[in-house]
Amino acid sequence: FNHVSPYKNMVGMSVKFQAQTTAFRPRSGSLLLNRPTSAIEIATPALLVTTSRGVVPHLTQAHASTLPCLQVPFETFLEHSPPVPTLHPGSHPLHSFLGFNPENQLLILTLRDPHDVRETPANTNNYVSAVTGRGIRRILSLRCQIYHSLLPPFSQKRVERSVSRSASWVSQILGPNRNVLVHMAGGVSIAARKAFSSNLIEKLHGREAEAISPHKSLDDGLVGYVFDLAPLRMEMDAVSTGDAPDLTTLLRASLDSMPSSKLRVINSVSSPHEILRLIRDVGVDIFDSKWAQDNAAFGVALDFVFPAPAFQTRQNLGHNLYRTDFAQDFSSLSSSYSPCPCPACRPVATSQSAIISHSTMDQFRTDGTPQPASRAYIHHLCLTHEMSAHSLLVLHNLAVMQAFLASVRTLLEHSDNFGRLVDDFHNAYHEGHEQISEARTMW
Amino acid sequence: MAKFEILARCPTTRARVSRLTLSHGETALPTFMPVATQAAIKGLTSQQVESLGISLILNNTYHLNLRPGVQILAQAGGAHKFQGWNKNLLTDSGGFQFVSLSKFAKITEEGKQTILVFWRNCNSHFGRRLILQPLHRRANDADSPEESISIQHAIGAGSFHSSTGFRDLEYPADIIMQLDDVVPSLTPDRARVEEAMERSVRWLDRCIAFHNASGKQTTQNLFAIVQGGLDHELRDRCLKQMVERSNQVAGFAVGGLSGGEEKDVFWRIVKQCAEKLPEEKPRYCMGVGFAEGNLSSLVQAVHSNTSTDLLVCVALGVDMADCVFPTRTARFGVALTRNGPLNLRLAKHATDFSPIEKDCPCPTCSQGTSRAMLHHIVTRETAAAHAVTIHNIVFQAQVMGGARDAIIAGTFPQYLKAFFAGYFADAGYPEWCVNALQSVGVDLLEGLDPSEVKIIPGSGAKWEYSTNKSKTK
Ligand SMILES: [Zn+2]
Ligand SMILES: [Zn+2]
Repeated sequence: FNHVSPYKNMVGMSVKFQAQTTAFRPRSGSLLLNRPTSAIEIATPALLVTTSRGVVPHLTQAHASTLPCLQVPFETFLEHSPPVPTLHPGSHPLHSFLGFNPENQLLILTLRDPHDVRETPANTNNYVSAVTGRGIRRILSLRCQIYHSLLPPFSQKRVERSVSRSASWVSQILGPNRNVLVHMAGGVSIAARKAFSSNLIEKLHGREAEAISPHKSLDDGLVGYVFDLAPLRMEMDAVSTGDAPDLTTLLRASLDSMPSSKLRVINSVSSPHEILRLIRDVGVDIFDSKWAQDNAAFGVALDFVFPAPAFQTRQNLGHNLYRTDFAQDFSSLSSSYSPCPCPACRPVATSQSAIISHSTMDQFRTDGTPQPASRAYIHHLCLTHEMSAHSLLVLHNLAVMQAFLASVRTLLEHSDNFGRLVDDFHNAYHEGHEQISEARTMW
Repeated sequence: MAKFEILARCPTTRARVSRLTLSHGETALPTFMPVATQAAIKGLTSQQVESLGISLILNNTYHLNLRPGVQILAQAGGAHKFQGWNKNLLTDSGGFQFVSLSKFAKITEEGKQTILVFWRNCNSHFGRRLILQPLHRRANDADSPEESISIQHAIGAGSFHSSTGFRDLEYPADIIMQLDDVVPSLTPDRARVEEAMERSVRWLDRCIAFHNASGKQTTQNLFAIVQGGLDHELRDRCLKQMVERSNQVAGFAVGGLSGGEEKDVFWRIVKQCAEKLPEEKPRYCMGVGFAEGNLSSLVQAVHSNTSTDLLVCVALGVDMADCVFPTRTARFGVALTRNGPLNLRLAKHATDFSPIEKDCPCPTCSQGTSRAMLHHIVTRETAAAHAVTIHNIVFQAQVMGGARDAIIAGTFPQYLKAFFAGYFADAGYPEWCVNALQSVGVDLLEGLDPSEVKIIPGSGAKWEYSTNKSKTK
């Protein structure tokens, strides 16, 4: 159960859905976080932006502060003891330390980086391992109250241990005002996944019940469920003869007996196609944007929309701007999603009053509409290894993803042919990753 | 041609405040120019740079000619449009880069017969090493004065004669530099320095002729570059010849410095040039405070005091200077402050929740980004470089803006004393700064207890030394 809301004074979180949802129907809704002085409402399906060491890679703070929902792996802060953010004065220490705004930015805290599948020393009943910039740290699970999913426990024994250990950790983390998301354990074993889920909804008695009071079951204290696809995929790949159940079956096995009123979060999603399938088949509410951010880091500008236009031929999801084809391409980054509102594609002229004045005689003239960043310009920045290439591409790719999900929400609410549109999208765009793997080698 | 109005003069030093009006608006002088070598400033958008109160940046012709190349810049409608920059832009001549690359370049009267090389970088933004790697040989490709100006015209997009025809483009460049023959400032061969100086004068004539013939002189402003190495007599001869051409150029630059020469020699050459250059033209000191030498970037970064170097230059009569220092040092986690450079990598910053500088108006400090947070990400995330770059650019611009206000108020000597006291109070004053400012009537040590004041000979670099040993585990 790797997700804890990062607030000193925890506050209520609730999820509501547009319509009464049955188990795995696609759904739109909203995630509401009430704080004493403010409320944050995030429309779902929503995007969860990935951070590294507490920052959105390649973005300045001004740009990162516009993102509503972010995930913060805590492990790098364990390089110092006690972790530096816990020393920060004020009521929202993590927000303040990282420069996010508690009034309109929601942070989801994890111990481990959910995308990092490097092998770490095995966890024990009391300790979990985390990777920091200074090596592995073992965290007393009781004290830090944060836990990350186990790495693929391949043996039957390890699966059983992981399931029972995870359940016991959940009981230690629950509190009256904590917003806890639980990682759904059980790996590729349908039986283990079901066992873990039934542990969560089982009514507890005696001392176990006292420990989680006022909750009656572990699940009572949870706001939602998390699936980390990176380790799950590793495990699926490792299962021989291709008899591993598919992703949908595994996720459904975990959710089958659980109430459908709670948040469903996915980490390490690999394409917009997969997002659409997980919305359609599992009713997932939140998706991380690591995939889009990685594309930006490798020089790929995303260019797709939902619903997909009718193309003559199947399109790539983006453009590898390292390719020399773009050296003289002065168009802006998106051709299908236009006009893209991101600061790369539609820069906004700096207002006179926002310009820092350095002396009494400084005079500022703001004139004209700023020029959008062209593919040729970013191609040049990629080839010259300028950091600005990646700043601009992250801004753009996150905007494309936000627009994609906004459009998904609209269609879920106003259209009843979502399933067909998902099929159309699969026909319109290649799901493969030629662009990103090619860009990765050019980079 | 550019409009250059002097608004105030310091009654004591040779500093002055002026306003330079170019095609893309006004720039208040004295100023420093951030360097956008490859048409971008370290991870920031053009709008962000503009919001920092920057109205004049520098592009390197040499680099932009290699990539993306003039043809593409012209197709884009000029360097302004290419990089989305709506303020003033200065392009250097490309001569300077040949100093560092002179092993690969054979200089001739016609221009330069060159073997082109390019900077090949490792793929990391950090720990990046510059490796010179022959790109391709273009044996008879002369980089002549005419070609340099032509390239700068194109970069500025005055017009460019391309295979697709002659294009007149909307936005002309603002300041272009003559091609000069640069020899490393420490060259012992006086005959070579003299030859380079005389050649630079001849090349200036060719640049002027070509520039005027192109009809671009109304929108693009050509600056001459004074050469002559560290030799006062050669500098004088160059100054005399170039000042004779004063009405043909929009301004003058002092070139051939910052090549690793003694600071005591550096300021005397700057002073000599500033004194002899015409009052009614802007004076640009090239590449202040940051030697492009063999030292690693980090060593240079930590041994430069660009802020104080720039103020000395201003006091000597310099109006503008470019420096890569604020942006380059940011990458290594070096933040500029009134108390000297701050090495954010040091363990002592790990739990310090104060900003780099209290009351700093930059977005990094004013939004409350702490030294502790920067320490956590510095050299690991490019976002750290962005945050420190933002601060350093604003810091440097504030130092220059403060100088403008002080000159206007007639309090520039006090401003210098206060700034130097804050910067060098504990480490000691560099002797060369004391001497340089003394020469223009400012006694930095006036009123200080001689037994308390330390004077540091040499460059007087002030630096928070970083050693891994001092880091607590
Ligand atoms: Zn965009
Ligand atoms: Zn600042």
